[in-house]
Amino acid sequence: MSNFAILKLEYSACVEALNEALRTEDEKAFFAAVDHIVHMREPGMFGELRKLTGDLQKALERFSIESKLADIAENEIPDARMRLNHVISMTDEAAHHTLDLVEQSGPLAERSAKAAATLIDMVNAYRAQSTGLQGFEGVARSIDAYVPVVRAVEAFLPTVRADSETIRRNLSEVLLAQGYQDLTGQIIRSVMKLVEELESALTDLSRLSGDVVEHASMGENAGHGPVVPGVTKGEIASGQTDVDALLSGLGM
Amino acid sequence: MSKDLKFLVVDDFSTMRRIIKNLLHDLGYPNVEEADDGKTALPMLQAGGFDFLITDWNMPGMPGLDLIKAVRADGKLAKMPVLMLTAEAKREQIIEAAQAGVNGYVIKPFTAETLKEKLDKILGPGK
Repeated sequence: MSNFAILKLEYSACVEALNEALRTEDEKAFFAAVDHIVHMREPGMFGELRKLTGDLQKALERFSIESKLADIAENEIPDARMRLNHVISMTDEAAHHTLDLVEQSGPLAERSAKAAATLIDMVNAYRAQSTGLQGFEGVARSIDAYVPVVRAVEAFLPTVRADSETIRRNLSEVLLAQGYQDLTGQIIRSVMKLVEELESALTDLSRLSGDVVEHASMGENAGHGPVVPGVTKGEIASGQTDVDALLSGLGM
Repeated sequence: MSKDLKFLVVDDFSTMRRIIKNLLHDLGYPNVEEADDGKTALPMLQAGGFDFLITDWNMPGMPGLDLIKAVRADGKLAKMPVLMLTAEAKREQIIEAAQAGVNGYVIKPFTAETLKEKLDKILGPGK
């Protein structure tokens, strides 16, 4: 069959419908027949138009997501970085302050313990020495032996009192230093909120592009950091006992 | 030897280095030096004088696992006792560290008793 014969076959019904509409002066049927002919003549055009409209809509949506992402990248990410750096310096400061206080208190407690041990020895020695002493001479010797004990106690008590006060003060400061947990917790929460926003914008973008967002990977030996429940994947040692069991299984 | 052992503690967090240093001090090892990652630690170790290495895993620059591999590959350091003290707790990582040649593996958070126990085990009785 020739090309023209095919065209004739395709269009003749439409032309007939058009003629019939003209003859009967049916406006609705006339336009329906014209539309049908136009559709037959430009079959791809309407599909293309639909696609273009869809693309335009996607482009507008993408533009809105990209402006949101640009804002996050330009303003909020540097801001979050600064916040997290602040968390590091706050925790660093609190930990060092606590360590300073612990290092300061340790020797004071040790000094009191040593002085008390010396006193206990002295008292025990005095008891041993004064047991069985009798008469006036005995009492006099007992008093003589007691004098150095009393002097040692006199020297011991003010030092212990001062050291204990310092230790008590240091402990209060250690307590206060733990306030960093509240403050850093609040900052970390605000950064988590930003990460959520970023995640939703990226998910929207990847949906529009049809791309799969891949996680950036670090160097192969870099490590993963502390285990975060619900986040860290794979088999995790539940504690030191588990680690020891695993290593002993390996012959260590 | 014994308490004159010289330790190198490698961790990127100064607080953790300080905690380990204090614990070692309490255990009777006052001779402790610090480095903040493998890159800083390796030349210190190669310069000599250290008897024991305690290292974290996750550090910027050179991670602990790479440091251990470099230590084991260095003829002069190959036999140095190494304790890994890290928050990395995946079973595959512990196996990887064992294969790289660690003598002990302690996960953070840890206790003074655990540290003592591992040091005693690595150094043997009377050290």
